[in-house]
Amino acid sequence: MNIRKLVWLEFKQHKSQLISGLLAITLGIAVIVGIRSISVVSEKAVAVNLDNLGANILVLPQASNVDNYYAADIDAPTMPEEYVDRIVSSNLEGVDNLSPKLTRRIKVGTENVVLTGIMPKNEITSKPMWQQSGLLGNDLKASCAPTNAVNQSNGYEDEKLKRKVIDSLGADEYLLGSTIARKLKLADGGSVVILGEKFKVSRVLNETGTVDDDRIFIHLRKAQELLKIPNQVSAIEIMGCCNAISDGLLSKLRNVLPDTRITTIGQIVATQIQTNKMMNKVSLIFLIIIIFVGGISIGNFMWANINERRKEIGMLRMIGFNKATIYRMILAKAFVLGIIGGLIGYILGTAAGVWLGPELAGLPVQPIPSLILISLCISIVVSLLGSILPAYLAGRIDPFKNMQEV
Amino acid sequence: MILKTNNLCKQYQHKDVPVDALNHVSFDVNEGDFVTITGASGSGKTTLLLSLAGLIQASSGEIRIMDFDVVQASDRKLSDFRRKHIGFVMQSFALIPYLTAIENVMLPLAISKGKKEQKYQKALALLKLVDLENRKNHLPSELSAGQQQRVAIARALVNSPTLILADEPTGNLDPSLSTDILNLLKKINKEEKITILMVTHSPLAAEYGNRKINLHNGCIN
Repeated sequence: MNIRKLVWLEFKQHKSQLISGLLAITLGIAVIVGIRSISVVSEKAVAVNLDNLGANILVLPQASNVDNYYAADIDAPTMPEEYVDRIVSSNLEGVDNLSPKLTRRIKVGTENVVLTGIMPKNEITSKPMWQQSGLLGNDLKASCAPTNAVNQSNGYEDEKLKRKVIDSLGADEYLLGSTIARKLKLADGGSVVILGEKFKVSRVLNETGTVDDDRIFIHLRKAQELLKIPNQVSAIEIMGCCNAISDGLLSKLRNVLPDTRITTIGQIVATQIQTNKMMNKVSLIFLIIIIFVGGISIGNFMWANINERRKEIGMLRMIGFNKATIYRMILAKAFVLGIIGGLIGYILGTAAGVWLGPELAGLPVQPIPSLILISLCISIVVSLLGSILPAYLAGRIDPFKNMQEV
Repeated sequence: MILKTNNLCKQYQHKDVPVDALNHVSFDVNEGDFVTITGASGSGKTTLLLSLAGLIQASSGEIRIMDFDVVQASDRKLSDFRRKHIGFVMQSFALIPYLTAIENVMLPLAISKGKKEQKYQKALALLKLVDLENRKNHLPSELSAGQQQRVAIARALVNSPTLILADEPTGNLDPSLSTDILNLLKKINKEEKITILMVTHSPLAAEYGNRKINLHNGCIN
């Protein structure tokens, strides 16, 4: 028999009370972990997107926004594919590449996937990451236009032609994001039925850490046909020269396509960063709430427990337990409560993040092991803080007033 | 001499009226004595016992147990002293309901140094002494009143105390069980040479001591 065993046996005796005592702190930790899990992935995705996204201007239908585009909802607005030709024929300086896309969320087997219709080589030229997957042999600099030499090596001799989209993906082939490939258990050369048509995997793309990992890419024409949205696109990604953007390329584009929404990746990133900041603020607010509500809840639970055990504590004082030992017993219990609350909170929060992350942020969320330590620290500190006053009052329990009634 | 009180006084305030629970109580107890403290209800018996243990702060006077100044000692020193030198037996047994008999006996050892096995063996030997070895894993609720009191006596002995303070140890027991408990205390006093101070209102129980102190309105008769 020692203090630890005594605390543990008392714990077992009152385990049903634990649920109410731990509820506030566990839920608080769960919310913090859930938000943090999603926001960390989101922050990483922004960074990776910024690094890897060759295109830096996004043309969207007037009624659409970036969220609509990435969510790829069934009724997300579209715009005529003819807009691509308008841009090409406008001969705007600084527009080095165009990539029209049509995106829709569909079901393949039991999985929800985003089907994206692309003009293949154009798409490839605008994405350095895709270059690395070996579909095209030449590296491109991110965020700025490829040089003429690069384009010539791709076979674009004519200045106008080099901007034209070129089809290099067979009508029955598709590219597969790495995450969705894992989910569908598909590899290079495999086949799958999409909207009633059989397609062959042209290649599983390398992991990029972006929304592209969750997408299936088919030829734009095929996508329009299968989705029954002929001659329409959801967005046009443009690789614009950085200097040209500074020189007013966006306003020139808006003149060419007045009924569209034109935004830069910088704006998208800024919006995402803003969202992340907001999520971090929400985490902070929850942290403050947890300290108050969780601490009060634990304190209330401990005080109720001590009141119930007044006679027992009085008896312990009688047989020689000094005040410091009583404090230690109460705080040891608070410590264990903190560990349980922190662990359960981490598990619930991580599960919520993994489950809700793809729905809320459109990103796959992985558990973050380092959050266990943070969860435990917060939970233990809150639990100990909430128990200080009850422990102090327990030490002041008068033995003789209670011991005759034990 | 193991215990000495000198002019011990305890005054309560009851609705702003001072009440003298103990009034200049002086007596000595020698090692190996079995002293019974008798008196009518409200005569100050329990107040005297609790004052001796330092569980009630005396208003004035002196208490010395083995030269330890009970009145002037700090809470920490008093707690240590109680744990090392005093065993308690209470009318209501004062057992922890979620601990088994042997765990209750080992309880005072929870904050003592020593090996777990040694503590266990000591508690087991004491349960054997009170004839409850076969009930070591029973909870208090699974024991009779007499058995619970015997567990409490074993717990009082576990730290090898010099002095046992017993407050109406037979108060909740029927006559035959009372006799068992009193015989057990007498045996401990004789064989273990442990000094016992027992508060009782029962004239029969008082006969078990070798000395009697009778209190009346806080004074020794």
